[in-house]
Amino acid sequence: MTTSAVLRSEWIKIRSVRASWGSLLSVLVATLAITLLAFPLIGQAEADNPEYDALFSAFYAINFAQIAAISFGATAFSSEFAHGALRVSLAAVPRRGLFYAAKTAVIGAAALVLGLITSFATFLVGQLFMGEYAIGLGDEGALSACVGAGIYLALMALFASGLTALLRSGVAVLSLLIPFVLIVGFVIGDMNAGVAEFLPDRAGQVVLHSDYDGSLGPWPGLGVTALWAAAAVGAGWWAVRRRDA
Amino acid sequence: MTSIEVAALTKEYGSTRAVDHLTFTVAPGKVTGFLGPNGAGKSTTMRLVLGLDRPTSGTATVGGRTYASLSDPLREVGALLDAQNAHASRTGRNHLRALAVSNGLPVRRVDEVLEESGLASAAGRRIKTYSLGMRQRLGIAAALLGDPPVIMLDEPSNGLDPEGIIWIRELLRRLAREGRTVLVSSHLMNETAAFADHLVVLGRGRLLADTPMREFLDEHSHARVRVRSTEQTRLRQALVEQGYVAEFAEDGKLTVEDAKAEDIGALAAREGVAILELADEQASLEQAYLALTAQDTEFAAAPARP
Repeated sequence: MTTSAVLRSEWIKIRSVRASWGSLLSVLVATLAITLLAFPLIGQAEADNPEYDALFSAFYAINFAQIAAISFGATAFSSEFAHGALRVSLAAVPRRGLFYAAKTAVIGAAALVLGLITSFATFLVGQLFMGEYAIGLGDEGALSACVGAGIYLALMALFASGLTALLRSGVAVLSLLIPFVLIVGFVIGDMNAGVAEFLPDRAGQVVLHSDYDGSLGPWPGLGVTALWAAAAVGAGWWAVRRRDA
Repeated sequence: MTSIEVAALTKEYGSTRAVDHLTFTVAPGKVTGFLGPNGAGKSTTMRLVLGLDRPTSGTATVGGRTYASLSDPLREVGALLDAQNAHASRTGRNHLRALAVSNGLPVRRVDEVLEESGLASAAGRRIKTYSLGMRQRLGIAAALLGDPPVIMLDEPSNGLDPEGIIWIRELLRRLAREGRTVLVSSHLMNETAAFADHLVVLGRGRLLADTPMREFLDEHSHARVRVRSTEQTRLRQALVEQGYVAEFAEDGKLTVEDAKAEDIGALAAREGVAILELADEQASLEQAYLALTAQDTEFAAAPARP
């Protein structure tokens, strides 16, 4: 049994379940749709505000992309827990480490590719509507923000897939994470100090700001998100390795 | 040739012992029927062989190796555990493709097994549209994918129509003729009698029998004669006087326990009763099985062992 065979098998599994393939595509589709709706209407509305962060505003639609990325990570793994599919999968690939690593790698790689396409697309398309306020990839921090947003989306997908492996339920993970990224950010608001800064979504989004006065820099911020994702993936591995299928 | 070897296998779920110190070997070249009441541990044993569950103690191996150490397991062991174990939004073909690719099997095998299991026309449909019988066929197709020398099927006849039941019976016989090791659990006794050469019987996780079918029938059933005559009441009287246990069956015939047709015929001749019908009753697997599990139940009712 080769690693590449198992990777290809996992890719077929993602492609062949509408929920996981659809949520992967919706990372791009939903983000572009939001960008095309929001930017022509309100893109320039706040641009004169002294608090305005041109870079962070350019990635407004990433809020929606992350929900799609979380859904993708959760459904791509939860498809194994639907209908006892995991038993058939582990009968075909009984080396659980290989199975888990291949699935995680395919989820991460697919989310990274779609995430990068999405971040560049939303940035470039959004700026078409910004008129005199438009910024380009050459502006300070723009290119790294695009790359960082793609990485951020992949990490959120992995965070969700690891938690799904641990909890054995996509629904549980979605009802945990989506309110978390939607609400916690608002509740905490602009509070930059303290623990809130180290939450997976807050830390990973530092890279989207041109000017950020917290203690984390853009790449350390993504590093914190990566640690969250790694912890979730590790916990998921512990569950998959240990439990009866 | 490849056998399934189960040695001192024990599996506990909490305080429940699902499989209790089980030892048996499933040999190639024949169909082994795997019998036992619900909850006897048949499915658990199969999951332990596949490495899906971890044994509390003991081992289960295939050809001397643990399942997890097989490099391309689908080429070694084909298993159907539960026909529902497939993601319902995949098409039948994609379900099999993902399995085939993982074990480096050529994709043409997917079409071959779809053809063989009679699912070719439904291959592009999502599994959620399949009937239970079609899901069984898909599960069997998956088991055959790697052309494995060992086949393990849990209740494969479940939900199949009469045609499907004949198909699976002939398939199992053919697989055994080809020299493969075939283990098939079932709760349908007549079905099992139609395809099995050998029986492994479990009761509450323990091994109750591991014998050829013929021996099993001889051992766990007793001779019985059914007789119809012109004077049933007088014949019964004569039989009872000779020490036989004779009872009227619902159809008016007499059933004589522990008797042979020639003895009953001779007795009737001496009594001058005209015999209309006289036959040794063939022991059925069902009777033999129930006789065995009844003993097991008695054992269960006995005080707990120290």
